[in-house]
Amino acid sequence: MVEIQHTATQLGLPSRIVGLLVGAALTCLGVVFGFIQGISVQLIILYAISTLALFFWGWNYVLTKFVLDQNNNETDGPGEIRRLWIENRRSLIGFAAILLAFLILSLSIDSFFNIWNIISLIILLAIIMLTRTLGQQFQTNRSAFIGIMVLSGLFSVGAMNIDGFSSINNIKSMLLFASFLGIASIGQTLVALLGGLDLSIPFIIGSANVGLLYLISLGVPPWLATILVLLTGGLLGVINGLLSYRLQGQALIVTLGTGFAISGGVQILTSIGTAYSGNVFGTVPLWLSNLSAMNGTTFGMPFPPVIAIWAGLALFLIISMRYTVYGRYLYALGVNRTSAKRIRISELKYWVMMYCISGFFAAMAGALLLGWSGGGFIGVGDQYLFLTLAAVVVGGTSLLGGQGGYGFTVIGVLVLQVLTSFLIGIGLDFEWQQFIFGILILPMVALYARSPHIRTQI
Amino acid sequence: MTAIGIKTVSASPDAVQTIKSEANSNVVNSEDTRGGTHASGGGNAFLLMPMTLFFILLTFAVLRSPSLVSSNGIGSAIIVATPLVLATYALMAVVIAGRGTVDLSIGPLIGFINVTLIQLHGAEIIQNPITVFGYAILAGAAYQFIFALIVIYVRVQPIIVSLSGYLALSGINLVILPRPGGVAPEWMSEWGLGTTIFSPVLLILALASLAWILFAQSAFFTHLRLMGSDERAAYTSGVPISVVRIGAHLISGAFAGLAAITFTALISSGDPSQGTTYTLIAVTALVLGGASLAGGRGGVFGSFLGAINLYLITYGLATFNFGAVQSFVTNLAYGFILVASLLLTLAIPVIQRYFKNFSALLYFVSVGTVVLGVILHSTFDYKGFSERAGAPPTAEVLTNTEATPQQRQPLAKINPSDLYVGALEIAEDDARTNALREQASPFIFGVIILVAIAVFARMAFSQAKNRDLAPAIIVIIAALVLFSGYLIKHGQFSPTEPPHFNSNSGGN
Repeated sequence: MVEIQHTATQLGLPSRIVGLLVGAALTCLGVVFGFIQGISVQLIILYAISTLALFFWGWNYVLTKFVLDQNNNETDGPGEIRRLWIENRRSLIGFAAILLAFLILSLSIDSFFNIWNIISLIILLAIIMLTRTLGQQFQTNRSAFIGIMVLSGLFSVGAMNIDGFSSINNIKSMLLFASFLGIASIGQTLVALLGGLDLSIPFIIGSANVGLLYLISLGVPPWLATILVLLTGGLLGVINGLLSYRLQGQALIVTLGTGFAISGGVQILTSIGTAYSGNVFGTVPLWLSNLSAMNGTTFGMPFPPVIAIWAGLALFLIISMRYTVYGRYLYALGVNRTSAKRIRISELKYWVMMYCISGFFAAMAGALLLGWSGGGFIGVGDQYLFLTLAAVVVGGTSLLGGQGGYGFTVIGVLVLQVLTSFLIGIGLDFEWQQFIFGILILPMVALYARSPHIRTQI
Repeated sequence: MTAIGIKTVSASPDAVQTIKSEANSNVVNSEDTRGGTHASGGGNAFLLMPMTLFFILLTFAVLRSPSLVSSNGIGSAIIVATPLVLATYALMAVVIAGRGTVDLSIGPLIGFINVTLIQLHGAEIIQNPITVFGYAILAGAAYQFIFALIVIYVRVQPIIVSLSGYLALSGINLVILPRPGGVAPEWMSEWGLGTTIFSPVLLILALASLAWILFAQSAFFTHLRLMGSDERAAYTSGVPISVVRIGAHLISGAFAGLAAITFTALISSGDPSQGTTYTLIAVTALVLGGASLAGGRGGVFGSFLGAINLYLITYGLATFNFGAVQSFVTNLAYGFILVASLLLTLAIPVIQRYFKNFSALLYFVSVGTVVLGVILHSTFDYKGFSERAGAPPTAEVLTNTEATPQQRQPLAKINPSDLYVGALEIAEDDARTNALREQASPFIFGVIILVAIAVFARMAFSQAKNRDLAPAIIVIIAALVLFSGYLIKHGQFSPTEPPHFNSNSGGN
């Protein structure tokens, strides 16, 4: 660290002057635009100062990284141009490919070549540039960095191309759906940190959804029914954990099996004596539908409480996984079972506990989805089978365990949600959405989750 | 940040995986060393589960609906089960390759080949069998080739690639063919009837199984299994792992193509979404067949049995009339059987401790004989039962387990006695039956003694070098018990005159 501090202060005078000048120019531009738009003077001053400060900080930060890089360069070897080509071969080829694709699209599709698409292209290129250059510097939280870049890029492109994309309502609905997915992926993240997988989540979601409404329609008080459903979810999670503990390599298929059994059992239970198997009808209590409906309010504030719940849970999980003993033990187990056992961490306990949490939150997602839809439907969780997995993976949590965390999954969930919203916004059908979704997961993951070559593993 | 620190020390995800498998070494190691030694026949204890399950289910299904073993029944069973068997083979090739390559996209791939085949046929681009087969196999292989290249060169975890492929393919399937429809080539239309046993589908199935058995004898397959169980060991011992991985994926793609053709023959049209369901079924079948999703273990016989077991579960449950909850009961049974059979694989090392040389072949033959007897008995002896049990489920019922909401009807009332006793109840005792029993008993008794002697002799020979006296004692005690049993039986047997009746009369 001392080394880095040292070089940071050694940023050359010319570069600092250039940075100051560019920053000043940007600030002036901002001020002029501010006056043209007629914003109050105080705000203009505030924005101007913050622009200057932010830019100057960023300039120093980025340049320092580059200076640090250049110190390692050696002078001999192939010539200047050739070395540049060898170093940047991949980026140049990628750049050319993107440009070519854009050109082909412009030529083949009418009205594709407009100002917004060009700006989108520039933003895309800027994101790729930034992730390639700056992303190298982030050793530990690289996936989070890339995720945030992709998120902001997607959001700004969406905001430019689609009317009402950045409106309060749209953001609210995106956050609403993101919170369902986010709550459902809590368990998947925790289990993945141990190197397992939980495919029973969608089935538990569907079963909780149907089961809760069934209990309510039987006359059980709604609060009691909710608690019962949540506890049952946790219990099913415990069963999952116990069954799959000895079969950890096959956790995928064990949880799938229990998932089948759970959803089948609950459906049989709820459809005995009714004419509509699979669907349950009943009245959802007001507080439950307020919890997750679009027009719900949180203590008078105009957003559904489920968003606040998700935010609270996320904060709690991120902090507790980083700073509590439980969190650290979880990582220790995920990274290396044997050494974790040597310091007397019970593998069984954590394995079962994580599956229990997973079942609990899956049931919670199911209950909340009931409030959103107002009718019980067993298939409500089906899409979460792969979405939870995708959110975990896109966020950057390794499926092999030990690396990642819930914060990453939050970013993954938001990326997936904004992407879905964007694809819907530009008017794509469901099937095209799914196609593009599938195609995009791969490069997103490839940006940071590449495993080392086999020859480096020996 | 400690977690990250430890991570960089241990350096590789595979190292973590290895350590994990070492952590529960008593299970995993013995699995890896003992498992999957041969594609068919001796020495593979992991065939125990699928075989036991197979015979239990087969007995159950035949007792429920004896017409399963008629020409129609077997014909439709072949038609329905073949796509599943082939999909399982396709999945098996990549699962053995290791790194957790559970190809979730196998179902959508089958759907993709199906819909493109239908559309290309509709556009009259491919017509005759050779081009259809060529197209299907090449399309499957091409997709898997790309898959393999991504896994090898982009080095993303295979399950992510397959997830990506699942989403992309199931999306594009709906683009190519928005709703079920279209017609299969004419020469294929008769395949899906399932009225005879010897249909072209059976030929495809037999050839594919044969191809796999031959493949399992090759050195390439040994390399594949070595790579699947320990990729680093394979790399250091000079196995060209990239080539082997690409080969495994190509084979998988070819089998997926065949599965798609038989699937097309089954439904005689195109369906963008139904192929997708094969993913979960094929994974389930593979695991039921004793393969390990962690890689390195799996065989054609086990996978075949696993797929057939799934079919038999569906078939057996379809004989009950659960009405609207039929698909739920099927799900429930799938889930329970899957989890139970997985848990039972944990018992295999324990069993191996006592039966050191478990012979899959002997087991198969001995249990198979018993079940064959039951099948013959129930099919030919008691005509009345099959009438009582009602018509067997048709292929259509079996493929459409997921009923749409419109098709759902109020729950029919289930007669409890059907549920509990119906499966076991074959016929009333009458004089003729008893007479038949009397006549057959010496033969049965003789067969039991022969089997017992064979089993004990085998055990004695195998344990002989341990200089353990226990087997000899067991043999002697068993012989005594059998002999006394014979004496008791003989004493009761009235040799006055065997009841006279026409031995063919059982057949009408």
